[in-house]
Amino acid sequence: MESILKQRGEAMTRWLVSALLVLLVLWYLTFTATRLDRLHHRVETSWANLDVLLQKRAAVALEIAHSDIADPASSMLLTAAAYQARDANIQNRSQAESGLSGALGLLLEDSQHLATAADSALLTELSGLTDKIRVAIAIHTDAVARTQMVRAKLIVRIFRLAGTAPLPITYEFESDVL
Amino acid sequence: MLSRSLKIGIVCPYSWDTPGGVQNHIRDLAEFLIESGHDVSVLAPAIDESNLPEYVVHAGKPISIPYNGAVARVLFGPVAFARVRQWISQGEFDLLHLHEPAIPSISLLACWAADGPMVGTFHAAAKRQKIIFAIGPILEPAIEKLSARIAVSEAARLTLTDHLDTDAVIIPNGIYANRYTDGKVLEKWSGNTIGFIGRFEEPRKGLSVLVDALPVISRFAPDVKIFVAGPGDPAEIIEGIDPQLRQRFEFLGKITESEKADFMSSVAVYVAPNTGGESFGIILAEALAGGACVVASDIPAFDDLLGHGEFGELFESESSTELAKVVIDLLRDEAKRKELSARGKERAKMFDWTFVAQQICSVYEMSIVGSHKVRLASDTRPWNRFSSKEEKQ
Repeated sequence: MESILKQRGEAMTRWLVSALLVLLVLWYLTFTATRLDRLHHRVETSWANLDVLLQKRAAVALEIAHSDIADPASSMLLTAAAYQARDANIQNRSQAESGLSGALGLLLEDSQHLATAADSALLTELSGLTDKIRVAIAIHTDAVARTQMVRAKLIVRIFRLAGTAPLPITYEFESDVL
Repeated sequence: MLSRSLKIGIVCPYSWDTPGGVQNHIRDLAEFLIESGHDVSVLAPAIDESNLPEYVVHAGKPISIPYNGAVARVLFGPVAFARVRQWISQGEFDLLHLHEPAIPSISLLACWAADGPMVGTFHAAAKRQKIIFAIGPILEPAIEKLSARIAVSEAARLTLTDHLDTDAVIIPNGIYANRYTDGKVLEKWSGNTIGFIGRFEEPRKGLSVLVDALPVISRFAPDVKIFVAGPGDPAEIIEGIDPQLRQRFEFLGKITESEKADFMSSVAVYVAPNTGGESFGIILAEALAGGACVVASDIPAFDDLLGHGEFGELFESESSTELAKVVIDLLRDEAKRKELSARGKERAKMFDWTFVAQQICSVYEMSIVGSHKVRLASDTRPWNRFSSKEEKQ
């Protein structure tokens, strides 16, 4: 009689332990899925935000090109770079943006002392934008890197926790030119 | 600056009423943001609940734990967690700004409990610790929820990348530079004088390096005087000084902000011999703003702040002979002192709150783009959403 009870007890504990384990695994899976969902969302919003800022910068660059700050030669260079950045497809985007950064950098280097009051409003707007872009790039690249890292985990791949979301692409920015 | 007024929740991990760099930074930031028209609430632990400013919400009594070579007064536990959750759900914040979310205190709890735009500032600089292998997997998902990370210095950024494999934007700590710019040159502190400010009892502040350098300095500059300001009991330090040189030292005790401005303008050389554990060096920024000629040890934070020697002289950390040499050279060369102090004053503008807060606000703005308000993470869990829907029907 006693041995039967003991056997039952053992079976019971085994059941309990395995149920707990299953619960734990389930919790971990939902936890990781939520984490991944949050990351995907961040990648999208941060990219949208960055895109808007870069478009704004191209617009400001065009305005600068048409103002008195730029001489005809740098005006031409800047206009070309701004149009390139606006029209670039996703593959050429970062290269085009870096080109625009370079063109702006060249111009700003020597125009610092000779800007008139009206033009300096444009330059302040640009420097404000540049600050924001720097932060936006940091946020976006970080989100992409984290997402890729989490998605590389074995458990995520086995259980397809990423669902149908596309794997975010690393976007190389030469942040030192900004 | 931000285009609209925000409701910002700031979490301070350390006890509000113990002095410290993080607390000072949060106080100044909160006051600056309130002044610019934002609605700010600071959640902080405190020993004495009755003496808190209006914008601080009491989170509970702090617990003392040994951390990073000092005693930290932090707060955690189930009661604190409930308090943090209550503060978040009642606050309806647009954004949370968490300070030091990687140490076990209420910032980490808030990071865990909240969902929405969050900015984290990392102050500490430490060497890579083995323990991170154990706590990394717990910290990482929490730190990952921060939409943007700020490090106060290059040293703090490196600590963050080493430990948690994530990057941060560098925004220095702020000072009110104009509080220090109009200090008067006082007779009693000028001449061949060396200044030191800090809690000199702590070995990492490095007063002993300066004490060891004095015999050599006084040989070349017999009338040199050293003024030490800061809270603490000098008896033990005085005992360690050669009796013949004791009258060269003067302990001023704790000095006020305006006295500090006079102090920085008056002393010939300001010395910061800290041996480590420093992540930013706010006192150096204040010294530069006050127009002092600065000599500092070459620990990473100071090296960075002084532009690798461009805005103040550096000496090899913990080497009193090096310190003596640098100080003697400067005491003899008034032109060089003037030049360094002029360059330093320019440099200090970078650390002024108007400039620093603007950068912080751009990070805020970038973090809240496309996000909802801050809410409790538990409210967005699928089963909770389900049950709350049922309640509505």
